Amino acid sequence: MTPGDYLTVILLIAGGGFFLAGTVGLLRFPDVYTRLHALTKADNVGLGLMVAGLALHAESWAVVGKLLLIWLLVLLAGASVAHLVAAAARQRGVRMWKR
Amino acid sequence: MNKKNDSGFLSGNRDRMRAGGWRTVLFALAWWILAGGAMDSWLIGVPAVLVATVASLVLLPPISFSPVGIVRFASYFLWRSLYGGVDVARRAMHPGLPVSPGLIEHEWRLPPGLPRVFMANVVSLQPGTLSMELGDDCLRVHVLDERGDFLPELEKVEGKVAAIFRIPLPPGKSDEMED
Amino acid sequence: MQSLFLALALFLLLNLCAGMWRILRGPTAADRMLAAQLFGTTAVAMLLLLAQAGNNAALRDVALVFALLAAVTAVAFVRRGWLGREENHDSG
Repeated sequence: MTPGDYLTVILLIAGGGFFLAGTVGLLRFPDVYTRLHALTKADNVGLGLMVAGLALHAESWAVVGKLLLIWLLVLLAGASVAHLVAAAARQRGVRMWKR
Repeated sequence: MNKKNDSGFLSGNRDRMRAGGWRTVLFALAWWILAGGAMDSWLIGVPAVLVATVASLVLLPPISFSPVGIVRFASYFLWRSLYGGVDVARRAMHPGLPVSPGLIEHEWRLPPGLPRVFMANVVSLQPGTLSMELGDDCLRVHVLDERGDFLPELEKVEGKVAAIFRIPLPPGKSDEMED
Repeated sequence: MQSLFLALALFLLLNLCAGMWRILRGPTAADRMLAAQLFGTTAVAMLLLLAQAGNNAALRDVALVFALLAAVTAVAFVRRGWLGREENHDSG
């Protein structure tokens, strides 16, 4: 394995860890708003790290570009969806959990 | 886009050529990525890029932006969103589940339209904040930990977004003489 | 390397199965939508890993379509589905 391969392994495993954290947050957090925090942030970082790891391993620059484009799309979708769901939940009167 | 507030970041007709140039490059890049770099695809790609550029110029007026602002924003955004992921992962994994949610309000200094929407999206990916409502005067933000001091951070993000769109901002409440 | 890609894809699949709990549990429709959002992002990551593992570039295009569809689904849900009908407000 080359040094680049080691970096790929580290990035991919770290990315997997963030996906796990996102799911744990989705299951453990007390209301829909806090779950949105967990999902948008953790999964986007998880996908970002995986994309970075795979990009190091990619066979051409066009593939690197496609990976980046996919990540940006997911990022944009994730942020917009988080806002839309939070706004809709508030409009519907879903109460915020308070400690 | 809001018509009455287009003085700041939307510019006049003379910038159309420049905007067209930038957009042609962007669409060509997008095509190159989608086609996987295949040379024979440009037979369809060139007309598609040209049509997309013309359509975008008709639908979206030129937006003035600063390349330096974008680079600065991107590096700031990447680190902060990575930290945001670490922060929320730590809270999710912690046995005591250390969250105490609250709502805060950030008074807009950005003009309505694209800059505000852009900032609202960015805020949702930053540590501990989630934009909930785009009000006329303020952005209502859901925070994971109401004891945190998020307003200076939001003003900093706002400053970075303003730099992208070349918008001059009035000084904020917690201004700390940034560039 | 190949086996790492496949193992991670399998790990993400298990992750998805854990997310199913939120769909069953709810309690609001928005919570279920969140789980759907999780599925979208995870599916993209899995497809990218499988594309690399199997040297199958077409899977990357599938991932691209998934990334686009996830956004459309959620917008449709908020605009058409959820704000339309009544349900009990539950926060826990």
